[in-house]
Amino acid sequence: MFASSWLILLFPLLGFIGLSWYGNRISRNLVGLVGCGTIGASFFMTLVTLSNLLFLPPEERVGHVQTLYQWVSAGSFKLDVAILVDPLSVFMFLIVTGVGFVIHVYSVGYMHDDPEYSRFFAYLNLFIFSMLVLVAAADFFFLIVGWALVGLASYLLIGFWREKTSAVLAARKAFVMNVIGDVGMVIAALVIFETFGTLNFADVFASAPGMFRPNDDSMLLITLLLLVGAFAKSAQLPLHTWLPDAMEGPTPVSALIHAATMVTAGVYLVARCHVLYELAPYTMYLIAGVGIITAIFAGSMAMFQYDIKRVIAYSTMSQLGYMFLAMGIGVYSLGMFHLMTHAFFKALLFMAAGSVIHSLDGEQDLRKMGGLQSVMPLTHATFLIGALALAGIPLTSGYFSKEAIILSSYHADMGNIVFWAIAVLTAGMTAFYISRVYLFTFFGRLRSPAAHPHESPMIMIIPLLVLAVLALLGGVLGPWVDSFLAPVFGHVAYHPHDNALESIALVVGIGGIATAGLLYMVSKERLDLFKEALAPLYVRPTKAIGAFLEQKAEREGIDFTVDQVGLQIKEVSHGISLWQSGKVRSYALNMIVGVVTILLFVVFM
Amino acid sequence: MEIATLFDFALDTVIFVVGVTAVLASLGVILCSSPIYSALYLIGHMICLALLFLLYNAEFLAVVQVIVYAGAVMILFLFIIALLGGKKEVQENSFHRSMAFAFVFILLGELYLSATVGPTQQIRGEIPAELFGTAKAIGLELFSKHIVAFELASGLLLVAAVGVICLAKFSFVPLRRRAR
Amino acid sequence: MGQEFVLLVSASIFCVGTVGFIIRKNPLIMFMSIELMLNSVNFLLVAYSSFLNSLDGQIFALFIITVAAAEVVVGLAIILTIFRTRHEMDVDHIDVLKG
Repeated sequence: MFASSWLILLFPLLGFIGLSWYGNRISRNLVGLVGCGTIGASFFMTLVTLSNLLFLPPEERVGHVQTLYQWVSAGSFKLDVAILVDPLSVFMFLIVTGVGFVIHVYSVGYMHDDPEYSRFFAYLNLFIFSMLVLVAAADFFFLIVGWALVGLASYLLIGFWREKTSAVLAARKAFVMNVIGDVGMVIAALVIFETFGTLNFADVFASAPGMFRPNDDSMLLITLLLLVGAFAKSAQLPLHTWLPDAMEGPTPVSALIHAATMVTAGVYLVARCHVLYELAPYTMYLIAGVGIITAIFAGSMAMFQYDIKRVIAYSTMSQLGYMFLAMGIGVYSLGMFHLMTHAFFKALLFMAAGSVIHSLDGEQDLRKMGGLQSVMPLTHATFLIGALALAGIPLTSGYFSKEAIILSSYHADMGNIVFWAIAVLTAGMTAFYISRVYLFTFFGRLRSPAAHPHESPMIMIIPLLVLAVLALLGGVLGPWVDSFLAPVFGHVAYHPHDNALESIALVVGIGGIATAGLLYMVSKERLDLFKEALAPLYVRPTKAIGAFLEQKAEREGIDFTVDQVGLQIKEVSHGISLWQSGKVRSYALNMIVGVVTILLFVVFM
Repeated sequence: MEIATLFDFALDTVIFVVGVTAVLASLGVILCSSPIYSALYLIGHMICLALLFLLYNAEFLAVVQVIVYAGAVMILFLFIIALLGGKKEVQENSFHRSMAFAFVFILLGELYLSATVGPTQQIRGEIPAELFGTAKAIGLELFSKHIVAFELASGLLLVAAVGVICLAKFSFVPLRRRAR
Repeated sequence: MGQEFVLLVSASIFCVGTVGFIIRKNPLIMFMSIELMLNSVNFLLVAYSSFLNSLDGQIFALFIITVAAAEVVVGLAIILTIFRTRHEMDVDHIDVLKG
């Protein structure tokens, strides 16, 4: 019934192959048309699949595996080339192809003057294909295949401007950290295979509850290993350092990969394997803990950045922390809903920032912007909408999703007040930093007099408008998302209504905005005086702690260990190399020893 | 006792004596300090083996052994020894020696044990007894069943000859230069 | 006398050859030890061809003699070349490939 769903994956793949072979020989317009057209066709097929799925009653919507062909059939191990069509995967299809299509159209305008136009669209199509493989996989094998392909596409796209050294280094860093995640995933897959005898999602999830008690060692091991992959891909602590550097790539790349899709792969993974995670509550606590700590850490970092894209990158990290918090608490569909709204407003923010950068000829420093609200009204309006959604102002989509998570962090079974407190604090920080960016960019007077800002071309504005509408009105989709994903997760998420907590969160959010506004209004000199007064309080102790830690923890601890690993290997290999004396007779003796040993086995077996 | 069994007994004795002599000769090869003596012991060893071949019904091979191996190859060896000089060498490195002895002793034991592990397969050939081991029989087999190996071996010999000529040519050049 | 005797003699000569190869430093004597090993195998083959009444063993031994002859020729040429330029007959000092 869902045979046509294969087309969702096929179109971007054909786009990639076609554009990489013929992209140089066809006109730019055709390249843009093909590049966007394939994703548009994919989105259309996703809608077709969605409608097919909605025809079925909710209980029958899970578990449709469309097999292309049977690949491996070795004894009891079977591996098919297949895709899984169920509400969760279709949900991700919608986001990937929908937001992807919008970003593709935007890129037509943004990358218009770039000489490597066709290569960009080829890579973008490759990325969409890889991400679709990842979310459509029906077993762990193709999940990992998609996982690795996405890492590859990310590397290609971050380092797109090959002459820029910083971009190449950032791409390498991202790829290496992704590989660390890949290693965790592969080991997890091996352990899963050893435990369950199959890599198929359906089989593993069906048999897991019956085989293991909660917090069983093997469940903890599998879920922790999968978590390594998820955290590396979604830039959570401690595998987060690649995301800020990944902003070296073009802005559409940041919008697509580092806001809407690739970094959400980790969240998708936890959602898909929720059966395994429910059997390992310790890991769930770990997910929630790491998520919320990353959220506040990234939020605090975002407050002081001067590069507009870095702020938004840290913001992504922080919001992913929220999603992981939701996953860790057990309210999976709320996390997925936040994933969707976040895709809307974060991609919107990135693209609006890209519009600003584009009009200022590549300027990304906040201190050199300002006063753009009159010059770029549409960008201004859409950025504002995105900022309001991010800050969680009531009635925007971000409000619904973030509020739900913050409330659940207290009211859900596994929630507690610490999670809630940190979540609220981070929400305040979020409001602060995004207001700061907004004010720096659009208010006051333009601080770089040489620039000639102008409104971006329509082809870049229309995607912004589309996403702005979704960011504004997407909140109504909340209940639908919950009910749509319920068959996958087994239950509908409970939406608590606690007026006290809601109002606290609201007050904190408004407070954040107000603080930003206040600080912006205050003049620079007063701000410096203020900072100097408070300096001895927190600056010196922090520096002292930092120096101490650098010496003890870093140099003697970590550096020492890492250096020792290399040194010991060098020593051992030097010692072994002495065995190769160059003397024929000792080689002959070695041979005889070998022959004797082998004959020993032959004779006595 | 019958003549037949007496003959068998005599045959067995001769085989035993020649075999032991071969082993002793081989010991002599490795234990002599001068290479000339070792070469001579090796020639003796090869003649013992030729006798053994004869005793095991391989006349053609015995003659080949004497002519080619003991005759040509060992004479070549002696020429080279004469050319390069055979100094009596000093033995050191006792650890190496004792390791060698130990392992080879174990090797000997293993070889013996491995041979007695299982029965050998009986491949019954179709050579009539009086023809066994004669040049005619070997020729018949060599040029029919093993023709490919034969051709390859002749190719190998050609390559060896050409290679040696090239190597020998190189070794002359420095001598001439030094003579000037 | 039978098979055990042949096996014992052949194995002994082979082991003597192996020991000789490992112990001695003079390359010519090492070469002769290799010849010993080949000879031992020849003997084994010929004896078994007699026991099993098949000429394959003798033909194999014939080929071994042929190849040994070729090998000796080339090997001696190599030894000649190496030791003529270095003027010493100690294999242990040829260790350029060490490390």
